[in-house]
Amino acid sequence: MDNFEPVIVAFCCHYCAYTAADMAGSQRLSYPANVKIIRVPCSSKVDALHIVKAFEKGADGVYVAGCLEGDCHFKNGNSRAVRLVEYVQKYMDEIGIERERLEMVMMSAGMGYRFAQVATEITEKIRKLGPSPIHAAISL
Amino acid sequence: MQNIQPQYNNKVLVIGGGMGGIRTALDLAEAEKNVILVDKAYAIGGLMTQLDRTFPTNNCDLCTLSPNLSESSRQEFIELLTMTTVKDVRGEKGNFTVLLETAPRYINLEKCTACGECHKAYPECVRFTPGLDHRAPTCMRYPQATPQAFSIDLAKCTDVEALMKSCPAGAINPDDMGRKREVHCGSIVFSPGGALFDPSHLDYLGYATQADVVTSLEYERILSASGPTMGQLVRPSNGQQPKKVAWIQCIGSRGLQKGAGQYCSSACCMFALKEAIVTKERFQDDIETTIFFIDMRTMGKDYELYYLRAKNEFGVRFVRSRPHSILREHGKENLTLTYSAEEGGANLTEEFDMVVLSTGFRVADDVKELALKMGLELNADSFPKTDGFNPVVTSVPGIYVAGVIQSPKDIPETMVQASAAACMAGSDLGPVMEKVEREQEPLPLETGVVGEEPRVGVFICDCGENIGGVVDAAALAEYAGTLPHVAVAELKGHGCSRESMQQIQETIKAERLNRVVIGGCSPRTHEAKFQEVIRRAGLNKYLVEVANIRDQVTWVHANRPQRATEKAKDLIKMAVGSVVRAQPLADHSLPMNKNVLIVGGGITGMTTALQLANQGLKVYLVEKSAGLGGLATSLRRTLEGGDVQAFVKDLVLRTESHDNIQVITRAIIVDHSGMPGMFKTGMQTGKQMFYRQIEHGVTILATGALPNRPSLYLLDECEAVSTQRELQTLIEDQPGTVKAWDNVVMIQCVGSRTPDNPNCSRICCQNAVKNALHIKEINPDARIFVLYRDMRTYGFQEEYYLKARELGVIFSRYTLENPPKVEATDQMVNVTFTDPILGRQITVTANCLCLSTGLVADEDSNDELARIFKLPRTGDGYFLEDHVKLRPVDLPIPGFFVAGTAHSPKTIRESVAQALAVASRARTMLAKDSINLGAAAARVDKNICAACLICVRSCPFGIPFINADGYSEIDPAKCHGCGMCASACPAKAIQLMQFEDDRIIAKLEELFERNIA
Repeated sequence: MDNFEPVIVAFCCHYCAYTAADMAGSQRLSYPANVKIIRVPCSSKVDALHIVKAFEKGADGVYVAGCLEGDCHFKNGNSRAVRLVEYVQKYMDEIGIERERLEMVMMSAGMGYRFAQVATEITEKIRKLGPSPIHAAISL
Repeated sequence: MQNIQPQYNNKVLVIGGGMGGIRTALDLAEAEKNVILVDKAYAIGGLMTQLDRTFPTNNCDLCTLSPNLSESSRQEFIELLTMTTVKDVRGEKGNFTVLLETAPRYINLEKCTACGECHKAYPECVRFTPGLDHRAPTCMRYPQATPQAFSIDLAKCTDVEALMKSCPAGAINPDDMGRKREVHCGSIVFSPGGALFDPSHLDYLGYATQADVVTSLEYERILSASGPTMGQLVRPSNGQQPKKVAWIQCIGSRGLQKGAGQYCSSACCMFALKEAIVTKERFQDDIETTIFFIDMRTMGKDYELYYLRAKNEFGVRFVRSRPHSILREHGKENLTLTYSAEEGGANLTEEFDMVVLSTGFRVADDVKELALKMGLELNADSFPKTDGFNPVVTSVPGIYVAGVIQSPKDIPETMVQASAAACMAGSDLGPVMEKVEREQEPLPLETGVVGEEPRVGVFICDCGENIGGVVDAAALAEYAGTLPHVAVAELKGHGCSRESMQQIQETIKAERLNRVVIGGCSPRTHEAKFQEVIRRAGLNKYLVEVANIRDQVTWVHANRPQRATEKAKDLIKMAVGSVVRAQPLADHSLPMNKNVLIVGGGITGMTTALQLANQGLKVYLVEKSAGLGGLATSLRRTLEGGDVQAFVKDLVLRTESHDNIQVITRAIIVDHSGMPGMFKTGMQTGKQMFYRQIEHGVTILATGALPNRPSLYLLDECEAVSTQRELQTLIEDQPGTVKAWDNVVMIQCVGSRTPDNPNCSRICCQNAVKNALHIKEINPDARIFVLYRDMRTYGFQEEYYLKARELGVIFSRYTLENPPKVEATDQMVNVTFTDPILGRQITVTANCLCLSTGLVADEDSNDELARIFKLPRTGDGYFLEDHVKLRPVDLPIPGFFVAGTAHSPKTIRESVAQALAVASRARTMLAKDSINLGAAAARVDKNICAACLICVRSCPFGIPFINADGYSEIDPAKCHGCGMCASACPAKAIQLMQFEDDRIIAKLEELFERNIA
């Protein structure tokens, strides 16, 4: 599995992580192309349904990126997202997908560097974990 | 009451299209006032477009501002005239007549698409506007250059016909004659910016003879990824990377060289720090950076922290010294710098690979000429003289200044003055007349799309080299054409150019498209623009989706073109899958509440209140204490000699008697809710602490700062020890006491620039100079010692510092590690300090020891207000603005502004400038009659809703409720659009418009369809 290229879905809050991703662009900070961003108005808009759907369709990793603690544009959306991610992780254990494949990260809009760093770290982590077990299930 | 001016001169003329001029023009245009913006260059942007990055964030910030100018909604109020100079100004406030002369560009701006063909064919005779002369033509760092067009230097062209043929648009016009034109305006903002000092004549610095001696701006260009060396930091002499770089400060400033101004150029210390930090960031231990300086002047907001980082984190070396010469010894490649250090005074030498001269600002000769033509009184350094309390007001009524022309300054201060000048110039136009119905093409009716088969048009931008340079944009368009529902897929150069937008509209109509995908830059910056495009083509504006293949693909995966292409394909496929499910939506809007809440009744709050009240707005001025005036009630004179008490009394009188201002004293803010344009703030007021609530559209914080009073140097223990503020009162009220003094000692930076309070208080150096001069006035024989760490008399304050030294005031430097020692003796104080030049300890028995204690943030009040309003603060407790460089008085939450010492310590004049600036910024928002809330609101499907109350509990704003019919109802005008309820709803009865579940899931399905197969 040397040339395994994981596909990672990043649900990014419009007010922070999505802007940070643009910032990484304007600073020309490079990160792996494995990360595909889906823009959401707030990290709390992300639903268990979306995360599970991503894994079901074949995502090797998913992360939800929201604002720093206390900085949510909508008061407490990011802390709800943290709870949701923890909640979904429990079910992932049950259905046999490693919980490490799902993560919650926080950053501010100005953190282009952190965005690139997080994208790189998560890609490397998932690369080490190998393809999602869903792929084996699909090919059966 | 001002007379209503006739229509023809109800305009503001802004001279100079640098960052300041642009800000002034935008502020006025957003407040729906007509502006003529003239600049002599080919494109606007001024000096800042040549900067690689800006302090203290080390970002390239140009792109944040420049796109605003091309926004058509604002453009209708701005007439932009580039390559234009002002030839003559006649008339008076309210009715100026100005003669303008526009030089020929030889290019028809209407036709030029900035395609670059002419430049490719005849580089020698084309002035490349978008990237500026110093930048490589391939650089599109400044792709929104306004106007986006080239310019021809006809004198250099040998074959005009061939040149004309090279232009596919037929835009080249060799018969362009330029033109002269008379315009009428009610007021003028003069913001021509500064020129940089030219050190060529100073032979001992070697600038004219040594290639490796460069100015700070030249170094900036060499450092820049888009500069002449394509970002390679190399020595101009031999193309090698330098190992040792030195900066020499104060070149052309502080009267130190022949031809230098007497003033301090204010921005060069930070400029040098930035260049040294950026250099260290890139080369770390591979390069040595040394700054040779006299006083390190980092007096701006959080600038001291930047200085400390340069020293402690980046290892920039600092040498307090005076330079003697820069020479290259025969047979050597390196430069030899000879200097005398502060201690010892002997000449030292050191070799460097490169030496950067930190050249200061000056007034250009043509600018001086124009200033005189306008009748402005100038000071000895050719800067226009300005009012003692209002720095943007000149000697000619109706003409205002902003930026470096007022006094040397950095970008944030320029932005403040630009908005302040906009406020003053705008108010000269008289009350806004009934809104003129603008000639606007009526929008076509929206085509019905519900139930229609989706026909998607995909338009891929190559964005110059930005996208096309990394991925094969044509292949991308071809791929998009193969996707389901896609009827048309085309490649566009710049999708955001006027020409492309026109073409997209035509394609939509001709191909009967009902959905559009743009593959280009970020929807954050350009979605609104494309929404407007498709709306004009007869589609509902929410039927477009922007795939971010630039900022999030080509810019970040340039090193992996293959992977970048795959990802770009994925993003386009996802966007198509999502947009076919998009439904037409209607925007929600609410009427704007035009009342203003100002918190804080000091000079700043009152100045803002009066400006806005004069413009017909209702102002609530809320003050915590029992009366107006704030800290200024205890101040007497400004450095320039202005009478503070008279100024404050007049402000209080006008504020209290103004019909549009309601002053509420003894008020404490307790709660806050709502959104920009419709806030509700609750407070407890009066002795009884009654609760009352105010409804308002914007909130302005002018809460000020507190005088610091640390228990240091016997303060509050010994009678002879006072603060500068107390000394000022004593000098005014008891000159007899002062007359009897023999010795006075002042200690600077007491409680500032220390580990507990690391920032500089900004005001203390000029305070010390002011009081020292005043003492000398009363008692010329008094010996005054000022013990300082760095004298920070920036701008024209330097002249007062010089005067104090001429009058014999002794300035002696101490260090943080070796502070002066004090000891009380009877009614006197013994102060012992080490003078670095004499190299010995001195003890002075002082009649008066005066401490420069500066200001600190009002921790209790600010903490409370920040919590109630949800506003961020700096590490030392001041309110943190939205953008430290470009939006210095806007807070990050829309509808909130900050001014005065609540922002950071500053002088009265600087507070007044900020007060006027927030008035201008607030005005831009309040000019609109309604608040557009967009369409991203949650919608409940009543057939599925089980009234389980989960949405009611999840909403952070308490908007959903169970209505009489037994299902959840969400008022779209109140919904903030976060989608929390939608994700929480167990029955999926709630959908957030624009982010519906089926669209998100469609993206996932499209992404993985190919990846799994």
